[in-house]
Amino acid sequence: MPHPDKAGCSGFQQLGLRRRDALRIGFCGALGLGLSDLLQHEARAMIEPGSVKEGRAKSVIHLHLPGGMAQQESWDPKPEASSEYRGAFGVVKTNTGEIVSENFARLAKVADKLTILRSVTGKIPDHGQATYHLFTGYTPTTVIDYPQMGSVVSHLLGERKGLPPYVAVPSSNGFAGGTGFLSSKHGAFQLNADPGAGGEFKVRDFSVPAGVTMEQFERRKSARAIVEKHLRALDADTDRLNTMDEFHRSAYALLTSDDARRAFSLEGESEAMRDLYGRGYKLKQNAPAAVGERLLLARRMVEAGVRFVTVNYGSWDSHVGIKETSKEQMPALDHAITGLITDLDQRGLLESTLVMVTTEFGRTPKINKDNGRDHWARVYSMLLAGGGITRGQIYGASDATAAEPARDEVKLEDYLATVYHQLGIDSNERLAAFGGTRPIDIVKGGRVVKGVLA
Amino acid sequence: MKALLIALLFPCLLFAEDAPSFRRDVMPVFFRAGCNAGSCHGSARGKDGFMLSLFGYDAKGDYYRITQEMVGRRVNLAVPEQSLILLKATGKVTHTGGELFAKDTVYYKTMLRWIEAGAPDDGQAVPMPVEITLSPDRMVFDGAKGMQPLRVTARYSDGSKRDVTELALFSTNNPSAAKISKDGVVSAEGRGDTFVFARFSRFTTGAEVIVLPAEKGYLWSNPPEHNPLDGIVYDRLQKLRLLPSEISDDETFLRRATIDLTGTLPSVGEYRAFMADTSADKRTALVDRLLASEGFTDLWTDLWAEMLRLKGGGYAPSATDTKAAEAYYDWIRQQMAMNRPLNEFVADQVTGTGSNLTNGPANLYTMLVHDPRFIPKNFASDFSQLFTGVRIQCAECHNHPFDRWTQDDYYGWVSFFTGIQRKLGVEPREFYIYNNPSAPPAKHVVDERPMPATVLGGEAPVSAGGDPRKALAVWLTSPENGLFTRNLANRIWAHFMGRGLVEPLDDMRVSNPPTNKALLDALAERLATNGFNLRALAREICTSRVYQLSAKPNATNAGDDRQFSRSQLRRMRADVLLDSIVKATDGERGFSGFPKGVSAVRFYPRSSGDTGRPFVGDQFLETFGRAPRATVCACDTKMEPTLSQTLHFLAGDTIPSQVSAGRVVAKALEAQGPPQALIEELYIRALSRKPEPRELAELLDLIGGGTRDRKVYEDIFCGLLGSTEFLFNH
Repeated sequence: MPHPDKAGCSGFQQLGLRRRDALRIGFCGALGLGLSDLLQHEARAMIEPGSVKEGRAKSVIHLHLPGGMAQQESWDPKPEASSEYRGAFGVVKTNTGEIVSENFARLAKVADKLTILRSVTGKIPDHGQATYHLFTGYTPTTVIDYPQMGSVVSHLLGERKGLPPYVAVPSSNGFAGGTGFLSSKHGAFQLNADPGAGGEFKVRDFSVPAGVTMEQFERRKSARAIVEKHLRALDADTDRLNTMDEFHRSAYALLTSDDARRAFSLEGESEAMRDLYGRGYKLKQNAPAAVGERLLLARRMVEAGVRFVTVNYGSWDSHVGIKETSKEQMPALDHAITGLITDLDQRGLLESTLVMVTTEFGRTPKINKDNGRDHWARVYSMLLAGGGITRGQIYGASDATAAEPARDEVKLEDYLATVYHQLGIDSNERLAAFGGTRPIDIVKGGRVVKGVLA
Repeated sequence: MKALLIALLFPCLLFAEDAPSFRRDVMPVFFRAGCNAGSCHGSARGKDGFMLSLFGYDAKGDYYRITQEMVGRRVNLAVPEQSLILLKATGKVTHTGGELFAKDTVYYKTMLRWIEAGAPDDGQAVPMPVEITLSPDRMVFDGAKGMQPLRVTARYSDGSKRDVTELALFSTNNPSAAKISKDGVVSAEGRGDTFVFARFSRFTTGAEVIVLPAEKGYLWSNPPEHNPLDGIVYDRLQKLRLLPSEISDDETFLRRATIDLTGTLPSVGEYRAFMADTSADKRTALVDRLLASEGFTDLWTDLWAEMLRLKGGGYAPSATDTKAAEAYYDWIRQQMAMNRPLNEFVADQVTGTGSNLTNGPANLYTMLVHDPRFIPKNFASDFSQLFTGVRIQCAECHNHPFDRWTQDDYYGWVSFFTGIQRKLGVEPREFYIYNNPSAPPAKHVVDERPMPATVLGGEAPVSAGGDPRKALAVWLTSPENGLFTRNLANRIWAHFMGRGLVEPLDDMRVSNPPTNKALLDALAERLATNGFNLRALAREICTSRVYQLSAKPNATNAGDDRQFSRSQLRRMRADVLLDSIVKATDGERGFSGFPKGVSAVRFYPRSSGDTGRPFVGDQFLETFGRAPRATVCACDTKMEPTLSQTLHFLAGDTIPSQVSAGRVVAKALEAQGPPQALIEELYIRALSRKPEPRELAELLDLIGGGTRDRKVYEDIFCGLLGSTEFLFNH
């Protein structure tokens, strides 16, 4: 047990730092430590699953736009800038009197229900590292592999109504890391099936196969249980065996539940509801955009009890021809986000469901020689809505060319800390890693952005 | 002025204490104080209007920005103490970075003396660091207490040495074992091993720290050594006070070796023959038989095809047509079948020239790319990561902060590939790969200097003219090239042991040292001296005692997953798993685009379109994490269990359809054997062992004695195949 009364001092002593050094590190961050970290070094105990009380947000729908969506072509247009900065698109007025790019004309009409953050800053303009940073809160190292936010939520809040706590639609982003130092049982359940792919949507292997009686199913289960004991007797890698057992327990529960099957389908949704999220949008090579169906499915899942749904859409790495890639991908995105916010609001679910729309970084202020924009992590835009987030706000601002934050900088860590906070999780708490031998901050140095809390 | 004059007349005296040099003395202060870190002035656009090159890669530019950009302000020659850089650094004026050092520090004094001397630029003669060393370079703490100061010494290009401890930055890889203070004092924290690092100039060097458990009574168990690899592992275990587990039993060994060497399970016949064999060297004989099998060739062809991102498509401009993939695959398989020395195997690809449809190895230049454009920078990075394990791309924008690589290395490396051309052949899907000798080399990003092709760490460019890839192939695949031999050795070891000595496999750098350096060096050395003979190294690994250890832990090694003191449970690779299901059930599985009967390890993705996207080509293989071959990263192959996998085993059609198609149960029932014999056969097929009496009793009880119902036994078979024991190699 740490000694709370001596905590601050022992933190200093342990690191062998004088105050002056601590200040230096605190400001410059050369070691990635903030002064507050040093002061709190020993004060904070490790947080255990089950000790967290749910916050205002009971669920999260996280829409991720991989590749880096341009802030200029979306939610932070610069109509006053010269054309090589401004880009090809005009603006529309939102129903709160602000402006967004004309690519988001629908979203402009529900701007009073959501918050756009225009001053988000990341660290490294590299897809792999920035995506990992976004999903885990940490830039990658080879020593510690950090868990994704969805995995942390699964670990701390656990499952609800027998459904997997963390689901990826249609699948996880390859750069986003995994369960890190948490058990792999907290990994995202990947559908590996796309509700928007056309044809009848069905998650594979989600019901007891036709032609197999319950008696047979039970017999297989019993036979497996008999043989499992053999490997158990080795006493080797018990955690791994526990994880396998956990997967089997969840799988049996899902396979025998009608509610679960319904949550993982679009069964019974009306034509009007499908249209609200948008459908029929096509990408290049005539592939369906599918983002509307993915978000509609996400809404069904959180309604049924899933805690955290990650949805991926598009390919936003527009080094070449950003006008064309924006025109290709943004209409479906605009329609789908607007549909989701509208639908959640109508159902009264927007109060308890937090919607995040993220991208791993923004794009360069100036259009390049290929009429594209390159990677830019110094400022970009993201979106938050519901779950106790302010309605109808544009928070923060970038400078005249969307190059640097002009006010109210929101570090990526702050953004994540805010989402955790709404879920009831203090991201300054620490998780017990490596068999409890090592406490690790959920998000290091993240501060809740008070200005976006309703 | 006097100091300046002396310095000009006698360059060697630049080392004199009273005449700081910008590069040698002042730049290290910026580095140590963090001024040129990425979060401060080292960021690409500087900070608060002042920019320094990240970690000091551009001394000339830094000198200009400090002395010329705002004359009289950042350095004030008239009143040196009023120089802005000193006022900022000491916190006398508002500074976002706060107070970095006080006036009584060596940092302040160095900067002040330099400004007092007129803030001179350096002549050409400034000796630069060529190496740093740590003293001590290895520490062992007995029990978790104790401190040890580190000393950092830099050697300069003129042969001189200097203590730079005060100018170095320190870090640790594992603070739960040992921490290191900013002054370089190491303190033991808890049982374990780690490296602590010092960074100075462009060098990073590590010192190993071992913190031993406090408990007494450790006694080495003296296990036998089958070959020298065992001795090297034992050495390490003794240093860490770990004991190896017992050797595994014959059943476990048979299963493990067959999976690792041939990518599938032993047959019932192979099982019975091996168990009946009473000769003392039967394990070695088994390894030899498996090494000579088709399965070994298929498996290693698969592993290489995966690393080389082999996929076939129908989008002609990418030059990765299915016919090109076929040519590449067939060539790789031929090389594996004839046990071609791995250095020659790689060299042939490096110099690959000619048609992608008829000359297999030239497809290194199509498959590592999967794009209509060949971008030399991207290719050079992937090439390096694959064949040396070095992620050289970090040095594109700045000298690698945690390794020895500089921007010079990077751009010289890229130039090996700036002449690569892919010219359309006689039909749209055919491309001729060749080198254009008159193509200009890559240009350095800082000063636009042309950087002719130079090997990593090379002093001078390879000779000009002709195809620089020839010199590259010679250098890369030479037995003396540790980057190459260690990378191969690490990947081969990882395949058999489930973990590389360096992890991730493709992130070899000074600051990510191997968990057992002597072992990695020995494996690399063996590969170099045995003629890059894959089968010979595989044989040595599989016949070692270390490979044959049981997974069952003892009192010391339950927590060990990196020192090979016991076998680890390893989930089978997706393709090996599928082939094992088919083998166990006598089933058959087809793959899209391939004739019937082709195994999963012989399958590679074929699409009718573009091959650039992640693409596995088979639902089962995708669910179980086969690499989509979208990047060169070893992490593309997923080995973790997931809920989807469990659902597929329980509710998917793979297992039941293979069980019924293979008719194993039906045939056994036709043969009229007793239930016990049938259950035993199912066990041997799925788990390569006989059931325990307890298991047999429980299963007989479950099925109600002597039933002849085929479905009942097939359910048991499904249960066995759905077990963790089946899914994992152990």
